Amino acid sequence: MVKFLKMLSISVREGTATRKYPFESPLVTPEFRGKIEIDPVKCVGCGACTRICPPKALTIGNEGDEIVLKYFEGRCIFCGMCAYVCPQKAITVSKEFELATWELGDLYDEVVHTTVKCRICGKPFTTVKFVKEVEKRIDNKVPEDLLTVCPECRKKLTARKIGSKVVGVSGE
Amino acid sequence: MLAVSDGGKPDLTMSEFALNKLEEVFTKLKRSVWVFHLNTGSCNGCDIEVLDVLTPYFDVERFGIKLVGSPRHADLILLTGPVTIKTIGKVVRAVKAMPRPRLVLALGSCGVGGGIWFNTYATLGGYPQLEKILKDAGVEVDRVVYVPGCPVRPEAIIYGVAVLLGLLQPKSKHRRVSAVEG
Repeated sequence: MVKFLKMLSISVREGTATRKYPFESPLVTPEFRGKIEIDPVKCVGCGACTRICPPKALTIGNEGDEIVLKYFEGRCIFCGMCAYVCPQKAITVSKEFELATWELGDLYDEVVHTTVKCRICGKPFTTVKFVKEVEKRIDNKVPEDLLTVCPECRKKLTARKIGSKVVGVSGE
Repeated sequence: MLAVSDGGKPDLTMSEFALNKLEEVFTKLKRSVWVFHLNTGSCNGCDIEVLDVLTPYFDVERFGIKLVGSPRHADLILLTGPVTIKTIGKVVRAVKAMPRPRLVLALGSCGVGGGIWFNTYATLGGYPQLEKILKDAGVEVDRVVYVPGCPVRPEAIIYGVAVLLGLLQPKSKHRRVSAVEG
């Protein structure tokens, strides 16, 4: 009985410990990392985020004539590395964590980029915005003939050029 | 516990049950949900958060949610972990032991999409892959809600249960935007 009275005084002093979560705002600290948001204006589609992403929640790939940056929230571990490495600062970490849903498809965010086609083989190989960004960053010093050539064709082109210079064999 | 009787029609097949009786069952389910916690090879991060939800600090018993020791008593399975190969048999048995309607809450990055173990040799990679195995074994699951997070916040679990019971509409929507020149 005495013990019970002791508890009563403590509970009156301390009040209720239970959080009324659905009816009050959740406890979110300033350091909290939730789902990431990709700014489609700033994103150039370089794929730096997809290489650093530990669970490969961010993937980039060709879909026909488009390059699509896919973000699967369901696999994201909310480490924020993508926001750290993004050269364009296009990725921001939001405080959103209430992501529960019925459909797995609802957990996908996609950014669709238009592509540049290789002027030799005609394959889409990179995004228009990425080529523009490269041009801007190195003050238009890239030879015009190399900028819209895919890596495979660029290798062959460079080999031909060296061959024609050293051996004197014509490139064709 | 919510015992669901077929109302004097014992020869009702499982798919007929899912089609005809599910609505009725969910109106009954609005009363109270008993949960069974199923760890399928999780790192224990999500399990600690599940326990956190059950403590007086978050106190889900105010919604009638109660942890039970056997899947035979449960309405809902809290599935954590990326479903390791060794646990598949036990997981299928546990889900099969649940009475209809079977509800599953796939918790955490591992439960939803496999997390950082999405393509290793020792794991299946989350609930979507397990669903195919359950289908092959003839075990039907009536409703699934995916709750991402690594680990899931206790608030996110409460939100997920609310979505599962149809009290809230999910906020997440599939977004496909084209990269604008700027």
